[in-house]
Amino acid sequence: MALDEIVERCQDLYDDLDFKYIKQWKAAGSGRKAIGHMPVYVPREIVHAAGMLPVGILGGGDQLDVIHGDAYYQSYICRIPRSTIELAVTGRLDELDGMLFPSTCDVIRNLSGMWQLKFPDKLVRYFDVPQNFDLDVGGVFYTRELQLLRDQLAELGGREITDDDLRASIALYNENRRAIEALYAYRSAQPGQVPTPEVYLLMRAGMILPVDEHTRLIHDYIAAAKAVKRPVRDNCRVVVTGLFCEQPPLGLLKSIEMAGCYVVDDDFMLVARWLLEDVPTEGDPLKNLSDAFITYSVETSCKYVPVREDKGKFLIESVRRNRAEGVIFASPSFCDPALLDRPMLQKALTAQGIPYTAFKYAENSGQMQPIREQAGTFADSIKLWSAA
Amino acid sequence: MTLAAGIDLGTGAVKAVLFDVSDGETKWLARSTERIRRRDPLVLAKQGYERILAGLDLDPELVDYVATTGDGENISFRTGHFYSMTTHAKGATYLRPGISAVIDIGALHGRAIATDDRGKVLTYKMTSQCASGSGQFLENIARYLGVALEEVGEISKTADNPETVSSICAVLAETDVINMISRGISTANILKGIHIAMASRLVKLLKSIKAREGIALLTGGLAVDEGLIEAMQEQVVEQKLKVKIVSHPDSIYAGAIGAALWGAFRHDKLLQVEHGVPSKDLHEYDAARPALAVDMGEESVACPLTSVVEPQSSTCPADQVLRSDSADKKT
Repeated sequence: MALDEIVERCQDLYDDLDFKYIKQWKAAGSGRKAIGHMPVYVPREIVHAAGMLPVGILGGGDQLDVIHGDAYYQSYICRIPRSTIELAVTGRLDELDGMLFPSTCDVIRNLSGMWQLKFPDKLVRYFDVPQNFDLDVGGVFYTRELQLLRDQLAELGGREITDDDLRASIALYNENRRAIEALYAYRSAQPGQVPTPEVYLLMRAGMILPVDEHTRLIHDYIAAAKAVKRPVRDNCRVVVTGLFCEQPPLGLLKSIEMAGCYVVDDDFMLVARWLLEDVPTEGDPLKNLSDAFITYSVETSCKYVPVREDKGKFLIESVRRNRAEGVIFASPSFCDPALLDRPMLQKALTAQGIPYTAFKYAENSGQMQPIREQAGTFADSIKLWSAA
Repeated sequence: MTLAAGIDLGTGAVKAVLFDVSDGETKWLARSTERIRRRDPLVLAKQGYERILAGLDLDPELVDYVATTGDGENISFRTGHFYSMTTHAKGATYLRPGISAVIDIGALHGRAIATDDRGKVLTYKMTSQCASGSGQFLENIARYLGVALEEVGEISKTADNPETVSSICAVLAETDVINMISRGISTANILKGIHIAMASRLVKLLKSIKAREGIALLTGGLAVDEGLIEAMQEQVVEQKLKVKIVSHPDSIYAGAIGAALWGAFRHDKLLQVEHGVPSKDLHEYDAARPALAVDMGEESVACPLTSVVEPQSSTCPADQVLRSDSADKKT
């Protein structure tokens, strides 16, 4: 598949606020079910093992007018729950047979309560994850949570989810993570060849396409991107962080690159990059998923860091590994996790002499000039005045 | 020898320059400026760049760095882009070494920038969304009055009783002007009132960046409007600043100049990183390239304000500072 075709396909999926793909997928087989999930992390392997399609629900973006959604939340709450409610009450999520709300923040937890009230006939689950990283404490708790989810999905699907089903799904998601890792490694090595808006669209496509199809799409994209010659710009290399829940408008990502920054790492669609190594496909699959979460998952604002001195280490390692020259904190307005974490992360960066800049956005931000100016002057300061 | 082009894609005009930076010597080789007048600015940028290359019979491959500024992020053949504050500060220190501030008055924005000798931006303030401190606003007013933009400054200086115009809002100011015309106020007094309103906003910007003394160079398209310069000098006195407002015949090129000089700097820096070439050896590394001998001709825009215009510098001391700093890795 040609590069343009791949990007166009991803763009079409991104633009489709009616989720027509879910209807097509369900129509292709009898009894098929789709389960929506909010950011930041749910174990999609279990949904897949149940024969269901996991669908990332990431708000309404900048193309959706929120008319009803504002009635559900106060003005000092971020926009993603409003637009998600808007999607639901306007019937756009009717094809979903259930919805999972991870323990991202209080707002998302409250959204799960609203869902239970609004859609009593659907499976609605507030999916808790451990904040204790002792295998005998958090691990045991989390394995039970995974088992509960397995039981609920089995009941909804009308069939048992066997260990072999789970192992097969784990293997497919392992492949998907490896493909994504290859994509990110390629962008980090040659950022001029892999524009970040394209990476974003590819990652978004993975929120609705079946995992094996998404894996193929990424491999096709990498091959196609390597076959074209794109101009190399004198841009600085940055890590962007804070975009893990409410989504940035595509224009924001384009603006950052236009402003003279090559993004070499990010925290888009963390659900697809959450586990940092392959999950074993032998042994107890739920325990393997639980152990992976406890022992080798990403650090993000929604996850507790038990040792104070470790706060920011993950970000600093990303900066070093990707030879980034600075960090851009792009946080959604009123995002408690991102904005409360930011001072701690900035302190850690300062201690390491890593420059940063910070701004806020909403999923429907339309005016990009201030962001271009800020990212651009940040890029200038790195290019002209850094010691490197 | 480093050949660097700078292209400043403004709201009202596209400016392009070409520089040769060798051993701390900075030679301005060529320039081009074109008013946009509803044409495609990206096409004009390409044409302007090609024109300066054609004028020197220069192969584009020989240009080491094409730097854009202003709204030039979409120029496809750019090597890198620098933001307007960065480039105007650098360009202004090239045109007038020793300044402490720059006032860039373009078609869309007015901004005050505090700078040091190296052209480093220390702080800056821009006019807000309102256009009443911008060149586009003045152009609109000139059109209402049936005056060519080039005549505005001269006419403004003949005012004997300037009218007060809103300095807060362009819409209100334009309404003021329509009322003045119907009341029979002279064109000179209206224009002077407009200049005072604009100057008042711009000098407040200077105050906000704490530029209370030293020299401030005007850059951008309105930098050669002598009526505005005079009004600014009056406003500086009225607002009790000790800043000397100066202009330069080539002020309109400040952004493009800054872009080209920063482009040359980046080219050298990237060579150092890529090849481990110490900065002092960069020109030996590049010695294979033939030297250019160029006559700039007489293309400069004449600034009638000879009392405040400084002669064009052929070398940029600020750049020498940068080069010595880069050797110490302090840039």
